[in-house]
Amino acid sequence: MNALRVFFVGGLTSYRALFNWISPWIFVPHTLGYPVFEILFFAYLGRFAEVQSDEFFLIGNAFMGIAVTGFFGMSSAIAGERRSQTLPSLLASPANRLALFLGRAVPSIVTGVLVAAIAFAICAWILDVRFTGGELWRLAVAALVSSFACTAFGLCLGSLGFRGRNVSLFADMVTGSMLVLSGANVPLERLPGYVQAVSNVLPLTHGIEAGRRLGDGESLGAVSGLLGTELAIGAVYLVVGVALLRFFEYEGRRSATLEAF
Amino acid sequence: MIRAFLSGMWIHVVMFSRNPFDLSGVALWPILYASIAYYLLDAKNDPELLLSASLGAAVMLMWSLVVIGSAAALEQQRWLGTLELLVAAPVPFVVIIAPITVASGCVGAYSLLATLAWGTLLFDVPLSIEEPLAFAVAVPAAVLAIGMLGLVMASTFVLYRAAFHLGIAMQYPVWIATGLLVPLSVLPDVVGKISWFLAPSWGFRALQEAALGATPWPEIGMCFVVSAAYAIVGTLCLHAFVHVARARASLKLT
Repeated sequence: MNALRVFFVGGLTSYRALFNWISPWIFVPHTLGYPVFEILFFAYLGRFAEVQSDEFFLIGNAFMGIAVTGFFGMSSAIAGERRSQTLPSLLASPANRLALFLGRAVPSIVTGVLVAAIAFAICAWILDVRFTGGELWRLAVAALVSSFACTAFGLCLGSLGFRGRNVSLFADMVTGSMLVLSGANVPLERLPGYVQAVSNVLPLTHGIEAGRRLGDGESLGAVSGLLGTELAIGAVYLVVGVALLRFFEYEGRRSATLEAF
Repeated sequence: MIRAFLSGMWIHVVMFSRNPFDLSGVALWPILYASIAYYLLDAKNDPELLLSASLGAAVMLMWSLVVIGSAAALEQQRWLGTLELLVAAPVPFVVIIAPITVASGCVGAYSLLATLAWGTLLFDVPLSIEEPLAFAVAVPAAVLAIGMLGLVMASTFVLYRAAFHLGIAMQYPVWIATGLLVPLSVLPDVVGKISWFLAPSWGFRALQEAALGATPWPEIGMCFVVSAAYAIVGTLCLHAFVHVARARASLKLT
């Protein structure tokens, strides 16, 4: 019960502290402008290269928008506490660590998913890509599964924040690598074999592929294998992430790096 | 003022180059964008296209570093409580801010080396610069022009506390509008007109023309022309925005 309170109340308070001060004139262009222009950038690059359709880049980059929030939600939660010099106080408390930091990450992730959905709608209108109601509903299911996998992976990245100072930059670099590795912008068959092998164990790769097939009108049953793989990958990262969270908290205490920033 | 500008620029170049982890990001991002372009374009028969993509990706990162790096540097001054002191210093504020933005562009030159090396080693992109002298002049001209556009942006960073977020939001729109990886010919006509006013466009064209052996000098000249224009606009904006920030007493807010 206490863990639930920490999760909801702590998360809500942290979220309000994070966004209350930002003017809408900055918040809206930043949160919405970035994914919209990212989708358009790659869609036009695809048009120029005459590779794949606008739908390919629209779905790939909308899913990337979800990944970004999953990756950054956790790492920002920990990096933010470190920067505010409140990380040692938080870790001195007996609160459940997963509830503590996931509570801070989830509101950001929900915001990110909503933003990705709005950016998807705006870009679909600009690029004149159309989906039926059923396709949109099935795409939402695939996005939810991918969001889970990305958040679990973000937990692994965030745990590094207990040990290192630059976890946000690291998360940024990993997110950038996903532009290539996840198949969001490059068809996987064009990548070398060893890169494809890495792609297959990363979150998002199978989610994007499922999303594209759902966007082409296939049923959920037809892509259940892909979604199941994405869920399994997310579950593995969740277990690894929880273990890393414990390990790096211990390492951070042992090496007295929790206050460094 | 010249001494303040040059020493400020040197200090920031050293500071930005201090952390190897940060620099790995500087090298990684343009490599990623160039790789996407290589895989998508698949232009083994058109090496000039791949070389252009390398240069475009490098200029993309130069702009990112200027707009994000300078925003982050100013945000850091806020957090450290030194922004007020800088504004109150007898040296004009523009002479303090301009070195930060130009130094960010200088660090972006690392990305040029990284992208060219990556393309040559992994994708067989020919590293033949047709006009080395023009290329050697085009690099600092592009850095200066992009850095001075950053100065115009930086004036808003003084006004807003969340400047860092604004900096991040300004990346993709400028990348698109300047035709760095996506040619302006595939974009609506109005975007081509906008590109005339944006420094990365001229910097990229100068580098591209020098590398491919066309006529780079007019583009290099335009880099200096737009730099001068940005310096005037940036100085005026900075003066006005600093006045507003002082009137609102918002310089100390983090």
